[in-house]
Formats: sequence, C-alpha cells, structure tokens
Amino acid sequence: MQDKWIGLDPSIGPLERRDERRLRARPDALDGHVIGLVANGLGRGEELLDAVYERLSGHAELNGAVKVLKHSVSVPPEPEDWARLTSEATVAITGFGG
Amino acid sequence: MASAEQHEYGSYDELIEDYYARGWTDGLPVVPPTPEKVSAFLAAAGLEAGEVLGEVPTREVTVTAEHAAINAVMAGCRPEYMPAVAAAVRAHLHEKGNCHSTTGTLSGAAQAVILNGPVRLELGVECGSACFGPGFRANATIGRALRLVVRNVCRGIPGVLDRASFSTTMRYSFCFGEDEENSGWVPLHVERGLAPEDSAVTVASVMNLTPVTDFTARTPEAVCDSLLKFLTRGVATDRWLGEDNNVVLVMGPDHRRYFDAEGWSKDDIRGYLWPRFFKDGRNRVHLGKPEGLLIVAAGGPGMGETWILFPHLAWAITQRIDPARG
Repeated sequence: MQDKWIGLDPSIGPLERRDERRLRARPDALDGHVIGLVANGLGRGEELLDAVYERLSGHAELNGAVKVLKHSVSVPPEPEDWARLTSEATVAITGFGG
Repeated sequence: MASAEQHEYGSYDELIEDYYARGWTDGLPVVPPTPEKVSAFLAAAGLEAGEVLGEVPTREVTVTAEHAAINAVMAGCRPEYMPAVAAAVRAHLHEKGNCHSTTGTLSGAAQAVILNGPVRLELGVECGSACFGPGFRANATIGRALRLVVRNVCRGIPGVLDRASFSTTMRYSFCFGEDEENSGWVPLHVERGLAPEDSAVTVASVMNLTPVTDFTARTPEAVCDSLLKFLTRGVATDRWLGEDNNVVLVMGPDHRRYFDAEGWSKDDIRGYLWPRFFKDGRNRVHLGKPEGLLIVAAGGPGMGETWILFPHLAWAITQRIDPARG
C-alpha cells in the first residue's frame, strides 16, 4: 500500500486578494459625495441608475454624478472610464446581470 | 519545470478530502494529480509546464500548461487526451471566447466542447447515441477538465466569480464529437478553415440548450421551418461581438436523413434559413452572417431532433489540436 501521496495544487493560489488593494470604506452618509453611476447596458439599466440617483438626491446633499455607460455588455468599462470614476467619483453604484 | 505547490498526504482518502476542503473539486471525486501523472500529461502534449495557454485579463489570471495538465489529471483524463484539453483551454481563453463573461454570468452558461477529425476515433469520443450524456470517458473527462480549469484557475467558483442564479449540469462537462462518418456534410472544422485530416476542438458557450423535436417534418424545408420557430427567439449578442457571432445546431440522424435525401449541404440549410431570419427588415435571430450558423451532425437514431446551442456572449472558437504540441 502506498504510504505517501503527493498532490499538486490545481489552482492559482488562495482566494484571498493577491495584492494590497483594498475596498474603500463605505461612507456613513452620502452628503457631499460625487456618485459614480455605472450602467452595464442591459435592459433599462441606465434609466434605473438615473432613478436611483434621483431618489438618493432626496435623502442627501449630493455633489453631482459621474455616469459611465459601458459600450458593450460583454466587456468591462474602458480604462478612461475607470480613470474618470476613480478620479472624480467618491462613491459608485452599479448593477449587473445577464 | 513544475511550479505548482506540492501537498503531502498519508493516504488517498486524506488527499481527496483535503481537495474537497480546499474547494478544488466540482463536487465529484478527483484523480490525485501526482507530479508523475502531470509530467506524463505534459509530455503527451509536448508542452512545457510554464507554457501559457491563455489569459483572463479582467481576473488577472494566466493559465499555463501545467495548470491544464493538473486539472486534466483530476478530471480523469488519460494522457493522450491532453492535446485536446490544451486546445479546448486555448479556444475558451480566446478573447472572443469571453471567459470572464460566460463563466461569471447570472445565466449560468456552459461551454460545449465539440471535437472533429481523427482525434474523435483515436480517443473514443462519442458522436452518436447519447453523446450529450454520461457513459463515455473521453466526453466526460475532456469537458470536465476544461470546467476544472475554469474553476480552479479562472476563479469560476460559485459565490466567487461564478454568479449563476441556478447554473446547469452542463457545467460538470459538456463534450461530444461530430458524427463525420455517418454524415455526408463538410465537417465543422473544415468549414472553419482546417483540413479534413486535422483534429480540432470548437468551444461554444451555451446559455441554453433547446431541443427542436419534430416527428412530422418529412422535408428539409419542414425541418428548417421548425428550427426557425426557435431560432427567431434570438441569440445573445452585442456590439463587441460584432457580426461574427454564432449559434450551433446539432442535428440528429432522423432529421439529417431528409437533407441527405434531397442532397442539401450545410450551406443549403443556411441559404434557406438566412433570408427567413428577417421580418420587416429586422434580423430576428441577431446573427451577423449566414456562416455564423454552425451545423454539426451528431446524436443517435430514434428521435426527430435537432438541438440548438444558444450562446452566451461569445464566439464559438475552433482550435486545431496539434497531437505533438497541444
């Protein structure tokens, strides 16, 4: 009977993040924040996010919106869209599906 | 040179249970991927461990031949299946194979692995009766190997980057071959530019698998009209996929015989269907070009059936299998 088995790791490592990037802390309130709205292009997602922004406007003093509409459902936003989001928005909301 | 981390166990059972605990299986037991077995798989495909088979940029993932070999061993493949597995991984990781979207989608899309050419006979890939189902080692394990790569390397893990609402049993494995010997049609891989003597794999995303069952059709036109009722539901596509998108029809012998009797080729089927995709100037199928309709002969007798593999957001990618180099 074989008394020792060697198995190789089939993965690329643990599921934990492999770098130092961390999610930004969620703010307690939205007053003064610039809201990023990332629509993935499915259905009426852009309208939905506009409506969410309007609803939020009734609850907080928002400082504007940065809207991103992906040019294709299949792929992530373009690098320039990510740059606009990370430089201008302080909070971002998105929807996904499909 | 092998670079994968090695884990030592006191018994086979201990290894299996640890692989379960680490989330490295699809829920079924795996074959222990020992260094010796993995080396044999790489040698069978003439691949170096570090050779890159593809990437998923959005996930910062690079898939090497060693990753594919480890997962192919685990899936239960034989070493001689490795060139086909490597080709399937390359095809799936083609940019327009869209790994990120097709394996992350809420819709739980699967990947169909369709084999053509001599490799089917060499490996014993089932192309006839029950070819979509269990019972055939090559079908079961080549398809499973791709899915284990998706899981273990590309992070397509339920609750992590696999966000499927229900998912599908096709995600365990979905692999079959074209029944070239029982069809007079030009095989899929030849239609896509390869030689008849080449072996090839085509990987197509499958958002849903729809049977078109029609026992009463007795002419090519009547079978096509039945197909149209389902095809006009439309296929998923978008601007990024452009006009080279695909939908796959897998036609069984009890539909094919009407086409054979009238001498219809695959192109004749496209010629009949394509203008009927349009109504009031609108393309109801959302297919960019007639040749995007991929037709495969497979399945066994008894049912008047053709199955439609409706795609997720990806092209069907055909990759030549190099017996010496994966």
